[in-house]
Amino acid sequence: MSSTSQKHKEFVAEPMGEKPVMALAGIGEVLGGKLEEKGFDKAYVVLGQFLVLKKDEELFRDWLKDTCGANAKQQRDCFGCLKEWCDAFL
Amino acid sequence: MSFVEDPACLSKSRLESDLVAHNVELPPAGSNKEAYVALHLRHVDQTNAADFSSDDDQEHNVAGEDPEGEKELDPSALTDEDLKALLFKYGVKAGPILASTRAVYEKKLRHLLQSAAEGELNEAENAVLYSDSDEEDVSEGNEDEEKESEGDQEKKSETLEPNQQQRKEKNAPPQKCDFSYPQCFVLSSRLRPCPPRNNEHSSKRNSKNALKSSERTRPHRSQIPAGISKVSSIAQHSGLRSGDPVKDILKDLLPDTKTSPTGIYATPRRPIKGAAQRPIQYAYPDTPVSPTIVERQDVARRLVPVYVQVLVFFALVCILLLIFVNVENTNSVVALLENVNQGPDGEEGIPVLDEAAGGDL
Repeated sequence: MSSTSQKHKEFVAEPMGEKPVMALAGIGEVLGGKLEEKGFDKAYVVLGQFLVLKKDEELFRDWLKDTCGANAKQQRDCFGCLKEWCDAFL
Repeated sequence: MSFVEDPACLSKSRLESDLVAHNVELPPAGSNKEAYVALHLRHVDQTNAADFSSDDDQEHNVAGEDPEGEKELDPSALTDEDLKALLFKYGVKAGPILASTRAVYEKKLRHLLQSAAEGELNEAENAVLYSDSDEEDVSEGNEDEEKESEGDQEKKSETLEPNQQQRKEKNAPPQKCDFSYPQCFVLSSRLRPCPPRNNEHSSKRNSKNALKSSERTRPHRSQIPAGISKVSSIAQHSGLRSGDPVKDILKDLLPDTKTSPTGIYATPRRPIKGAAQRPIQYAYPDTPVSPTIVERQDVARRLVPVYVQVLVFFALVCILLLIFVNVENTNSVVALLENVNQGPDGEEGIPVLDEAAGGDL
């Protein structure tokens, strides 16, 4: 079982509400800033994109890479975080 | 079919792609659809009429195939529905194609087209291999092969410049190339893959392939720049021969590779010079150390001092006892000493100690 970061655990523990996009696992300041520039200023907007891509891992990771330049680990963390959140709350 | 329709019925993107296919200058970016329609009417319909009258198969194919060919090769010119339909054709159930998702789906379609093209390429190579002497006939004669070859050449040009934007520029020239040239281009791309492509793909997967395949293909690399037509056929033979054992090895090495529908595996390889100039010991400078090994090392480091700590502890206890004893009177000291000397029976010694200590105080 891969270990999840503290950020991941915190995010998945409760409904995301109005959390900023930087609360997502794998998304730090730099990536968060780039996402905000593109209009994804809240975590729920990224969630929206995730859902529109039908929760597909490859598509979401590609999108993340194209949008903010996330590397493989960051993509993986973000995807895992959102997927688990959806499994718990959606 | 599309060239029979009224241009006004076509979408703007379709008009754009048609104009590009007929090498017509596009109107400025902000112009209306009407401008596109007008240009389309003026140029495309004229050429279509000319094509119909002439009996030239090649042009007919180009005109007939291009609207569809453009569709297949340029996902960005597709409408949302066409994109979705094409993706479905490749087995991808796409979600809504919105502004934010379009780019991702286009990219996916490109990947699918490339892999499909590579599959066709390999088939075409196999076909060419057996009809090597009939190169000229193939390039001039057969309609079907011509269609495929044009499609292949256009697609081959894509594989030549992997993931580069020069794809669009290359679409025009290769159509008129001899059939022999694409062979060597394909070969060189096969045997000497471009570095940027390999950098994008995971290098870890290729490291094992590179070692084996680089050794095999290295002798051929020097031959290719020397000649083109002759060497290409020679290299083709050996390349194809080496392809099969590589395929099997691939399966052994990478059991989790996705099975392609055509059964052909195209694995990008690391540059050959990498194997020559960087032997194995330098290829993996950092030997991966698993966390359990790290933990064991840490624990091992700590084990030695633990004994030392225990010894130090006992030594301190003895010293403290001696000090404690010296502070007391001699009577109790003797009793204590006797008790201590009796042995390691701590339970007997301690109550006596306590009594003595209690009695003393």
